[in-house]
Amino acid sequence: MSQRKVLQGNIIIAKAALAAGCDFFAGYPITPSSEIAQYMSKEMPKMEKAFIQMEDEIASLGACIGASLAGKKALTATSGPGFSLMQEHLGFAVMAEVPVVIVNVMRGGPSTGMPTKPSQADMMQTRWGTHGDHPIIAVYPAFSDEIFSETVRAFNLAEKYWNPVIILLDEVLAKAHMDVEIPEPGSYEVYWEKTHEISDLNIYDRNIGENPPRIDFFHSYPIHIDSLEHDAHGWPSFDAKTVDKMQKLRMEKIFYNLDDIIKYKEYFLDDAEVLVFSFGISARSALAAVKMAREQGIKAGLFQALTVWPFPRAALQERFKKTKKVLTVELNMGQMKYEIERIAPPDVKKQTLLRANGLPFSPGEVLETIKEFVK
Amino acid sequence: MMKIEIRYGAVGGQGIITAGALLVDIAVEMENKFAIESPTYTAAVRGGPTKVDVIISDEPIDFPHAQAIDFFLCTDQKPYDIYKERLKDDAIVVVDSHLVRELGDTRNWKVYHVPIINETKVGAGNVVLTSVVSLALTQKMTNVISYDNMVAHIKHWAPKGSVEMNMKAIEVGMNLIK
Repeated sequence: MSQRKVLQGNIIIAKAALAAGCDFFAGYPITPSSEIAQYMSKEMPKMEKAFIQMEDEIASLGACIGASLAGKKALTATSGPGFSLMQEHLGFAVMAEVPVVIVNVMRGGPSTGMPTKPSQADMMQTRWGTHGDHPIIAVYPAFSDEIFSETVRAFNLAEKYWNPVIILLDEVLAKAHMDVEIPEPGSYEVYWEKTHEISDLNIYDRNIGENPPRIDFFHSYPIHIDSLEHDAHGWPSFDAKTVDKMQKLRMEKIFYNLDDIIKYKEYFLDDAEVLVFSFGISARSALAAVKMAREQGIKAGLFQALTVWPFPRAALQERFKKTKKVLTVELNMGQMKYEIERIAPPDVKKQTLLRANGLPFSPGEVLETIKEFVK
Repeated sequence: MMKIEIRYGAVGGQGIITAGALLVDIAVEMENKFAIESPTYTAAVRGGPTKVDVIISDEPIDFPHAQAIDFFLCTDQKPYDIYKERLKDDAIVVVDSHLVRELGDTRNWKVYHVPIINETKVGAGNVVLTSVVSLALTQKMTNVISYDNMVAHIKHWAPKGSVEMNMKAIEVGMNLIK
């Protein structure tokens, strides 16, 4: 076994962000994410990188967008209440196609809710929190090594697809100290493809499905960035044909590249009678439960989504060809279960285990639900 | 497979989050185990009931909260009442003899009443050392980490000028239960 270290979940995110080349952080500390800002405030100045504590979360994401436009890899970290405030600028980042990474360590809601308790109740806000049709990418690690790898991946995806990427994390894991293996630099991909060489000023011009170029906006070009719908040059345009193309460019850059973006883990699914669908801390309860079920001769398996948005539809539908029971386990009043209902064929029986009282599911509770479901 | 589950119960500020973190540090970085420490606390960081679960195993850990507790150390009545769930029938239970008075049904637990907080103040000189005293008590009662590794780690971890008082705290913890 290689030497593992002990780090808190929040600190793993901060270290991974720096490993991924993050060179700008602007944020407003909030439980249970505060240690990310705390760590960055200590470490970034030593590396001659910029850390700013902003006056609120609106300004935090605004500063990150500005830094990103100036060619920096920018990160902010928050929890539900702050993520609500960020929704307006999140829409700007989508519209203007600005890479930025946002950590949302979820806590009990709505409003200021339960700052020190876990929840998975921002799943739909992550997808649809900002208005208008828009693409979004969200990753959701559950185990310590995944917290590192998914954070690095979040930066890569943001840079590659010129889009905001959200890292979801649970309060339980953000605050826990746990063993983790921090991989050697060079053993993982760090995507960075910035060009100053543009042939014309039509920065948004490209074919549908193509990755956009990453341009250093402030490198002597008179480029226009606008939150209004715009043409290839970035100037406001409401011309129906132009709008149609721009909408498609933004949506399809994600949907043409699902294989690159979507990641998941499958446990014991090949012969499974019941597929447990889960993510984050609930996937850890579910994995323990599935192992206990196997010991008792119950054919249960786990599908753990690491990319939650876009939803891993195709991989699940493949499983539903053989496995005809699906149990969704999530710490909310029912959010991702609607995605399962949308994609699972009518002959697949659907069950849920839901709760939003600040207590994670114990493996025993998941096991009992599985047993009841297979009866 | 070796797997041990430990729970600390206290009120915020008594140092059990530090005790748990130290235990995990030693288990992982000095003894090559898998380990996780997960704290549960309230908005009142000082004075609110707090629990810390520590799981140490020679295999990766799926669920981070304790499910079948081998060792429970508790230094206040309120967290005792809330967090005494999920103890094994033969669990070892150490409670502060001044601050935990009502134990209720103790099943087949091996219960020790010791003046943890008081002895820390008197014997080690400062109540902030409850973390290290609790760690030493855990080492003695469970043997989940080695004594030598504990001492070496605390020497390395203790802030400059405080090594001696931390060593004293280890001594207090080791002598609380004969």
